[in-house]
Amino acid sequence: MTVNKLVIRDLDKTYPGKVWALRGIDLDIPQGMFGLLGPNGAGKSSLMRTVATLQDPDHGTIRLEGDGDGIDVLREKDAVRRVLGYLPQGFGVYPHVDAVTLLDHFALLKGITQRGERKAVVEALLNRVNLWSHRRKKLGGYSGGMRQRFGIAQALLGHPKLIIVDEPTAGLDPQERSRFLNLLAEIGEQTVVVLSTHIVDDVADLCANMAIIAKGQVLQTGEPNDAIDALRGKTWRRTIDKAELAQFEEAHMVISTRLVAGRTVIHVFSDEVPDGFAPVDPDLEDVYFVTLKQAA
Amino acid sequence: MHGFRAFLGFFSFELRTRVRQPAMWLFFVVFAALGFGAMASDAVRIGGGVGQTAINAPFVIAQMLSIMSVLGILLVTAFASGAVVRDFEHDAYQLFYTKPIRVADYLLGRFAGGTFAAIVSLGGTAVGMAVGTMMPWVDAERLVAFSATPYLHTMVVLVAPNLMVMGAIFFSLATLTRRMMWAYVGVAGFLVLYVVSQAYIGDLDNDLVAALADPFGIGALQLETRYWTAAERNTDVVGLGGAMGLNRALWLLVGAGFMAFSIVRFKLQAPAVRSPRPTAAQDDPPPEVMVPVASRSFGPGTQLRQLMVQAKVELRGVVTGVAFLVLAVFSVINVYGSAHGMTNAMFGTPVYPVTQLMVRVVDQGMALFMLIVITFYAGELVWKERKIGLSEVTDAMPTANWVPLLAKLLAMWGSVLVLLGVGMMTAIAIQIIGGYTDLELALYAKGLFGVNLFDWALLCVLAIFFQVAVNNRNLGFGLMVAYFVVSAVLPALDFNHMLYRPNSAPSGPYSDMNGYGHFVSPMGWMRVYWAFFAMGLLLIANLVWARGTDARFALRLREARRRITGLNTMLLGFALLGFAAAGGWIFYNTNVLNDYKPSDASEDEQEQYERKYKQYEGLPHPQIIASDLNVDIYPEARRLEIGGRFTLRNRHDVEISEIHVRVDPVATVRALSLDDLGTLDHNDTALGYRIYRLTEPLAPNAELAVDFSFTFEEDGFPNSGSNREVVENGTFIHNDRYVPHFGYDPSLELAAPNERRERDLPERTRMAAVDDMDARMHTYISREATWIDFSATVSTSVDQVALAPGYLVREWTEGDRRYFRYEMDAPILNLYGFLSARYETVRDKWNDVAIEIYHHAPHGRNVATMIDSVKKSLDYYTANFSPYQHRQLRIVEFPRYASYAQSLPNIVPYSEAIGFIADLRDTDDIDYVFYVTAHEVAHQWWAHQVIGGNVQGSTLMSETLSQYSALMVMEKEYGRAKMKKFLRHELDKYLQGRSAELHRELPSMLVENQPYIHYNKGSLVMYALREYLGEEAVNRALAQYIRDVGFQEPPFTNSIEFVEAIRAETPDKYAYLIEDLFETITLYDNRVTQARARASADGKWEIELSLTLAKLRADDKGAESPIGMSDWIQVGAFDAQDRPLGLQMMHFEQDPDASESMTVTFTVDEEPVRAGIDPNVLLIDRNPDDNVRAVDSW
Repeated sequence: MTVNKLVIRDLDKTYPGKVWALRGIDLDIPQGMFGLLGPNGAGKSSLMRTVATLQDPDHGTIRLEGDGDGIDVLREKDAVRRVLGYLPQGFGVYPHVDAVTLLDHFALLKGITQRGERKAVVEALLNRVNLWSHRRKKLGGYSGGMRQRFGIAQALLGHPKLIIVDEPTAGLDPQERSRFLNLLAEIGEQTVVVLSTHIVDDVADLCANMAIIAKGQVLQTGEPNDAIDALRGKTWRRTIDKAELAQFEEAHMVISTRLVAGRTVIHVFSDEVPDGFAPVDPDLEDVYFVTLKQAA
Repeated sequence: MHGFRAFLGFFSFELRTRVRQPAMWLFFVVFAALGFGAMASDAVRIGGGVGQTAINAPFVIAQMLSIMSVLGILLVTAFASGAVVRDFEHDAYQLFYTKPIRVADYLLGRFAGGTFAAIVSLGGTAVGMAVGTMMPWVDAERLVAFSATPYLHTMVVLVAPNLMVMGAIFFSLATLTRRMMWAYVGVAGFLVLYVVSQAYIGDLDNDLVAALADPFGIGALQLETRYWTAAERNTDVVGLGGAMGLNRALWLLVGAGFMAFSIVRFKLQAPAVRSPRPTAAQDDPPPEVMVPVASRSFGPGTQLRQLMVQAKVELRGVVTGVAFLVLAVFSVINVYGSAHGMTNAMFGTPVYPVTQLMVRVVDQGMALFMLIVITFYAGELVWKERKIGLSEVTDAMPTANWVPLLAKLLAMWGSVLVLLGVGMMTAIAIQIIGGYTDLELALYAKGLFGVNLFDWALLCVLAIFFQVAVNNRNLGFGLMVAYFVVSAVLPALDFNHMLYRPNSAPSGPYSDMNGYGHFVSPMGWMRVYWAFFAMGLLLIANLVWARGTDARFALRLREARRRITGLNTMLLGFALLGFAAAGGWIFYNTNVLNDYKPSDASEDEQEQYERKYKQYEGLPHPQIIASDLNVDIYPEARRLEIGGRFTLRNRHDVEISEIHVRVDPVATVRALSLDDLGTLDHNDTALGYRIYRLTEPLAPNAELAVDFSFTFEEDGFPNSGSNREVVENGTFIHNDRYVPHFGYDPSLELAAPNERRERDLPERTRMAAVDDMDARMHTYISREATWIDFSATVSTSVDQVALAPGYLVREWTEGDRRYFRYEMDAPILNLYGFLSARYETVRDKWNDVAIEIYHHAPHGRNVATMIDSVKKSLDYYTANFSPYQHRQLRIVEFPRYASYAQSLPNIVPYSEAIGFIADLRDTDDIDYVFYVTAHEVAHQWWAHQVIGGNVQGSTLMSETLSQYSALMVMEKEYGRAKMKKFLRHELDKYLQGRSAELHRELPSMLVENQPYIHYNKGSLVMYALREYLGEEAVNRALAQYIRDVGFQEPPFTNSIEFVEAIRAETPDKYAYLIEDLFETITLYDNRVTQARARASADGKWEIELSLTLAKLRADDKGAESPIGMSDWIQVGAFDAQDRPLGLQMMHFEQDPDASESMTVTFTVDEEPVRAGIDPNVLLIDRNPDDNVRAVDSW
């Protein structure tokens, strides 16, 4: 089957203690790379786990639309799992098993029953994620980056139509991160890929569509470029002293504060040019911070 | 992926993973070693082949393997439950549960893989056993031909289902809670409940329920084979037809049910999040706070404080953990179960829960949990930081190694303390609920928190040392298990010395009379020794403590060398010095002051004795005719000075020129002279055998005086076998040890046939034939004398009373010594003893017989019953047998180091353990104090008036007749109903005794001192005789018999004469009974297949019984063949209140080969509820339960 869209409607989830993890989430996720951006604790992982069939929401629906009837994700978990590739945040592996053995086992679980085919798929994937030379090593001895790559390999088994990657680049060095993002970019053709992250650059680099989520609610959806355009002409920057920060925060809507070569540089959001500020081209990070600040 | 393929995928992956890891093979080897040890050595005992039952009998194989499968439940839990919980422990579940898998395939596949691996591991036992039987040193006579069938049969019928079922049960627990801890806690709890329930279910009445209730099938195995003889055990396997099949079916269903439950309830979901991580207010910037600078110190004072704080934290972590709480609860249950078991001493009658007993109860009840807690938590504590990923943080802190090491040790000691406290609270609760208020808290403190706590504390050190040294949690567990196995096995391999068995110490039995007595010294020194050892271990642990991320052994050794400081060396040196010094002192005591003999050394001595001196067995020897002794007991010093004069007479018609004297090798012989007529020719000091040559041969009928003076004093303490007869309070010595003995004594030879075979000693006849006239010239009590004149002067310290057979003629005090002179006015058997203690005395009278009870002051509870029993016994015996030959009867308490009662001439020593603390408040229980007293008083007739020769069957006249006499007195006192319960116990003991027979069974009149025949079968035989012949007839026979042979001179009577006396009073129609009861081994297998009743016209009830009868004769190996019968057997019925109805004798004729059922009818007056044949079980029936059935309507 081909999968065209992931449709999430009115999803609610509360944990004991009456804390809303997800509140009225509505999302339409088309084929291609979709970035789910939000701070820690925003509810991204809850949402990802729910879509990946590991968790049930209190309310709402999730459907995978494609040619044919589509799949009700919450009720037809098995059907989802057949087309799913899931790279969780912070997973573990069996330390005493080597990579090729475990990947082969996962391939079998994903329905690749012919031994010859399975062998070929496993070999190809391990090569793809550059783990072929380490295939006989026990997974307990893998570094963080290597484990992450193994995670991708198992997620890609069986050419999934829905791929969920949850915080995949955390802990990777720049080289590994770059390699990983390239890998993801290659996949996203006929597949729905949801990339959940708090790293804005990941979304900016890869994603054709995105949503910003915080405190369990969707704050904004759309194409990154559109969101950036919306801010054009409203973002300003200035170098200040650290001690003055408090003043500026009171006077303006400060989007971000960062250190550049030791000096404090702030971006502010304003329809009119504020005194002493220079215009700056907005980027996705500005969009992100503005959205969060406006929601607060 | 679904379906069988998926199941297979999970199964094979699990199995492949498991096979590549060491645990499965490690356990295979361990189980194989245990199996090997069980077959090829005496070191491991798991059930086992006894007597005629072969070592590798199918029955024994089934027993051993099924017991091992109980151990296996831990393994199957680790493998099977672990197979699923692993996904959570490693956080890999997210990768699995998002794949298209089915719960059933996943759970079943993993379960099957893990369980299969566990079964293979456990199968190592079978392999080890099989290999063990092929070892050349195993006694081939005790083996049956090798066959794989019993091994396979047991694995398939018992082991595999056990593991599958128990695995499934705990699998449920583990997979639904997703924590291994709950599975292990479940296992521990289950083991407790299992053990406790076995104790309760041990009742006679619930056999089938018990068999079904045992998930391991061991109960079913026992039920099906309960009365199997050796022949059957050696060939048959238990079929699935009866209880076994039912049991397996039932439990497999249970297991399947649990599995189904797991599958239904399990969800491929993330574990429920209990409380969410709170979302901090992301937007507010953190406040600008200045962090103050604090002062810091790093000296030893700080370290100490850190130690105490960390210890508290670690202890709290252990004790508040749910696992510990649950373990504590289960240990409470176990203490309760253990109390129930240990307070039901005899015939189900409880003893009072005295504190010294409760201390032992707690010790026993908590032992298993202590071991589990110590082993498990040592691993948990040492690995805690590494498991939660905090170790890199803590290892980089500026604390010394010994801080966490000691903190964890202190936490373990604290947990042990807490558990012991819980145990003590439970014990106190049991005491109070039982109405017993003398709590003796100081004794609890001494017993539990003194000695016991110390032992546990040492074990904690060992456990932590293993964990630290090998730095691998499972290996650390394995080493502890190995330690337990080794410490159990070493003594069986004849390595008995305390110095090389870690944590060993001599047993210090506690007696209310004597406290811990002189055992305190060796107990203390051994613990000092082990304390230094523990100190050394800790110091080494400190040096090899794993710190940092690279913990390879070579690196740790290098680091250890770097860590050695001056203080370390000094402390290590101190520990070593202390260890050596204590060890040296102990060695001095055990090997220099005393003789250390490993257990096979005493057997070597027995062999030597026989090889060197058996040649002198037939030598004529004079016999003792008079003993006049001086016995000086020094209780505090534990010294005995014993001496006196034996007057010997030559009763042979030849001259005697050699006198052989045997002296206990530990005695200090101060003097030993034979009237100045003997020169010492041969003095074997090792075996204590002396040969004197007389300068003037002793003429026939001439007399010789032997004067002797010995001192017995134990120096220091021996490794084991410390003298328990001469103690500070409660001395009790016999003449079998402390005086010189004359002539070769064949009873000192090695008795066990397989021992003799191993040493190439010839076969030995256990006892002379019943008509051996030579042997009948001696009584079976003594070869050295027949009747002797006895007198003794006994002295003891001034605050104690000394007792001996005889009448107190004079008592006086000299300084701090108190003297008693006892003299007998008539000859007695050469069997006497001396006692001394601080007693409380109770006096009473029966006619002109003085009754005196000497007891330890607090033990006065049952004295009134004893006096009552004495009076009633004297009443019955003097009325029905003969006059009592003495003017006094004394009962004297002695410490619980031995637990028997014995009848010496006019004095009955009675152990503390068997009567003085019996709880007789519940009148439904069998009053065994009354019974034992009556039995011992009866011996004053049956042994001290009538005494058999040294031949087969003589104990029939002493033990069996004493049983009978006691039974008669008991029946008068307690009624027939209670007798039934008592006799049922006797029947069970007889049947069990005969299947455990090592040598050969014999008919009653040829009994060779076998307790199950002369006590248990004897009760049944005499009671049946009484029922058939009538009490008056039997007593007439006995009274006549006493008149004929009482106080006789040699040749002494034998059982043939006794049986003739009985025959004289037996009417012709019962003449066959003599053959059945006395001359042969005869049993019945009678069965009521149906019982029907209907009311008859005249208000009575007609009963019809359908019966199958069988009468069997057994040979001495237990093989039984049917014989015909022409017998009188009782039939009868019981009403709703279990009162007997219509008991009558009926005549039954049957050919030997007949097996058809027959019917009989009889009438009773009231409505019957149950009816049957031989309802009072007068006849010995292989299975008495099927003699009586509930009555159906006709």
